[in-house]
Amino acid sequence: MKVSLKEWTKSGEPWVWLNAGAVAICMIMVVGLLSLIAVRGLGHFWPANVYQADYVENGNSLRLAGELVDSEDVPADQLRDSGVAVPEGVEFMQRDLLKIGNRDVGGSDFIWVLDDFLENRSNPEMLFAAERREWGNFYGYLRSLKENGQVVASYDGYEKNAEYMQLWNKFEASIERALDLHEEIAEIEKHEIGAINHELERLRLKERALQLKEVTDQSRYAEIDQRRKELDAEYEVLQKNLLDLYTQFNRDSFTAETAGGQTIEVDISKVVRAFLPNNMSITEKVLHYFSKIWEFLSEDPREANTEGGIFPAIFGTVMMVILMSVMVTPFGVVAAVYLREYAKQGFVTRLIRIAVNNLAGVPSIVYGVFGLGFFVYFLGGHIDDAFFPEAKPAPTFGTPGLMWASLTLALLTVPVVIVATEEGLSRIPRAVREGSLALGATKAETLWKVVLPMASPAMMTGVILAIARAAGEVAPLMLVGVVKLAPSLPLDGNYPYLHLDQKFMHLGFHIYDVGFQSPNVEAARPLVYATALLLVIVIALLNMSAIAIRNHLREKYKALEM
Amino acid sequence: MTSEAKTHAIDISAMQRDNRILRLEDETCTLQVKDLRLSYGEKEALHGIDMTIPKNRVTAFIGPSGCGKSTLLRCFNRMNDLVDSCNITGQILMDDQNIYDRSVDVAELRRRVGMVFQKPNPFPKSIYENVAYGLRIQGIKKKRVIDDTVEWALRSAALWDEVKDRLHESALGMSGGQQQRLVIARTIAVKPEVLLLDEPASALDPISTLKIEELIHELKKDFTIVIVTHNMQQAARVSDYTAFMYMGDLIEFGVTDTLFTNPSKKQTEDYITGRYG
Repeated sequence: MKVSLKEWTKSGEPWVWLNAGAVAICMIMVVGLLSLIAVRGLGHFWPANVYQADYVENGNSLRLAGELVDSEDVPADQLRDSGVAVPEGVEFMQRDLLKIGNRDVGGSDFIWVLDDFLENRSNPEMLFAAERREWGNFYGYLRSLKENGQVVASYDGYEKNAEYMQLWNKFEASIERALDLHEEIAEIEKHEIGAINHELERLRLKERALQLKEVTDQSRYAEIDQRRKELDAEYEVLQKNLLDLYTQFNRDSFTAETAGGQTIEVDISKVVRAFLPNNMSITEKVLHYFSKIWEFLSEDPREANTEGGIFPAIFGTVMMVILMSVMVTPFGVVAAVYLREYAKQGFVTRLIRIAVNNLAGVPSIVYGVFGLGFFVYFLGGHIDDAFFPEAKPAPTFGTPGLMWASLTLALLTVPVVIVATEEGLSRIPRAVREGSLALGATKAETLWKVVLPMASPAMMTGVILAIARAAGEVAPLMLVGVVKLAPSLPLDGNYPYLHLDQKFMHLGFHIYDVGFQSPNVEAARPLVYATALLLVIVIALLNMSAIAIRNHLREKYKALEM
Repeated sequence: MTSEAKTHAIDISAMQRDNRILRLEDETCTLQVKDLRLSYGEKEALHGIDMTIPKNRVTAFIGPSGCGKSTLLRCFNRMNDLVDSCNITGQILMDDQNIYDRSVDVAELRRRVGMVFQKPNPFPKSIYENVAYGLRIQGIKKKRVIDDTVEWALRSAALWDEVKDRLHESALGMSGGQQQRLVIARTIAVKPEVLLLDEPASALDPISTLKIEELIHELKKDFTIVIVTHNMQQAARVSDYTAFMYMGDLIEFGVTDTLFTNPSKKQTEDYITGRYG
């Protein structure tokens, strides 16, 4: 049956196809984006096999050991031009990126090699990989283990046998012991000494405050001195303890031979984990994989953010978004209530509405500049003058920090909440308001007891949109409080527990920092993807919890069937 | 259901017997309307109404759509205040005080003059909280007092038996008729003196309508009731007095029986015989 083009157009079918096509393209792009960052990011944690090969070029031979990270085809002409002896008749050659580690030996972690020039490839079972606190990964052959400089076990061959495994087991036990000690040291340094330092600082400020107020009562100074002496004594004990731990911590070391033949000695205290990648069963690899992911989620970063975890960034992001929501919701709701319920509708309210809508379109960096100029320097400076004169000249709130970042983002997102709340208020049936008024309720009572609860799902919609916008914002944060590496979390056990004046880490900024400011680009790249994936997940989780709250409210206050 | 219907029939005949001896002159006056004019912007909707609302009687307002009967009703508890462009002159006296006087507390007036709307408008709260709402607004906190009043109000609205086991469930889960009776319960819980009913049964099915009408008959013992209805049979069934309004004027006001059987004005007769409407 033949259908004319005109009839086909009239039937509306082209529109259906067009719309469905648009939806499909959107879906494909979103799914594609997510899978790209998921694959690139999550692949990073898999313990790949490490192979060893001889790289032969122009008769020179170099023995390498490393993980294959990436490979690409390069035009042979380009290689010929750069002086590589490429056989005739070849158009493309494969080039591999190997992660060879051993930055302390060779100078760089990664190397590009031509696949065709690699000979004698093997996966030696004895080859081990060690993640270190400094200088990145190490790949090589374990040679000996030392305690206090005395060799306690050693092995010289290249075949994996019982003797080697004996050395390996001792090596692992030594790492285990060092990690336990490291945890103990971290606990003392971070929490106990941290708490003492925090209190000492507070005492110093208290004393300074007394001096500024020209208090002459010596007993109060004596009180402070007394407490300070106690703290100093506690500190002495901890310090001694710490010294002991450090001596024990630095007891062991190991020597190892690289694939190239150099022997190096490394302190066991520098090792985070060691494993035999070519000798792991699939279960071991999976376990290793998840422990790496857990480390990524729960640990502090190491090595200029290219290793370790990003927990402080996750924490900072969530903290900031929660604070932002807590600030923006009352602001936006109150403004919307005034605009919709109390203000006389007319030219001025129309003007204000237009202004509010336009505020939502102002580039976020402008808010950052405003936040820095107004909140940080002006408001923060005056808060410091008024409440923290004892800390001067060091600023307390007169410097970028968590509170100003949250406030700046609250300002950035307040139009969204206002618009959504107004929308919600306008949808409350007149009949319900009249019902309340007819019972003798005043306008304010009606608003608080009936209208606002009913409009709460709309407010939550506003908050959801605000979260979606704020969590992904980076530019203004760089001006008002985010840093590359924050020494402590904004929430801890030291009074006043929530440190609004502190700087914090943020996933979005972390991506920028790791991706563009890192000294070790190749090592950082997978982390950019992993962090991006995590950022998406964190935002999705924050949004989903807000949506869950909204749905709950909707169910409770579902609109009357009118 | 049949037994209920039978009681209803008896009620109506009793009512009609009462009506024969009703005379406006004998009634105590609750609300007195004096030369009430109301305009929305430029357009005048009520052109000088004078009437009295008798105490503990049911007064019905009838008339074609747009005649101003609802507008007049909403004047009694100053609901028209909510309309920005609305302008009112004249007086409505309640206990010799003009309710449009500056010194009048509107919220208190609305507590004394309760109102039930055309469509049931329960709050999205539990049945109990709906009825307790007005009491809480008045600052009553004693649970015992609230419990007792809620039960009394629900019983008075003939709803108690249906909802006593689910007082704390959402009011939005009730049927339309139940919701409307809940709204009535909610209104009488604050013990108003006057009950304004703005076409209370127009959104309901016949059985629910019947229940509302029975309820009105019960409630007039305790309250002065003013009802707006576009259903003349309903007005004839439930009211003691009827006012016929047309184009913003009060055409005729008198004992229901007389007005329906022997109207003194031509317009009234035309309307009740269905000539227009």
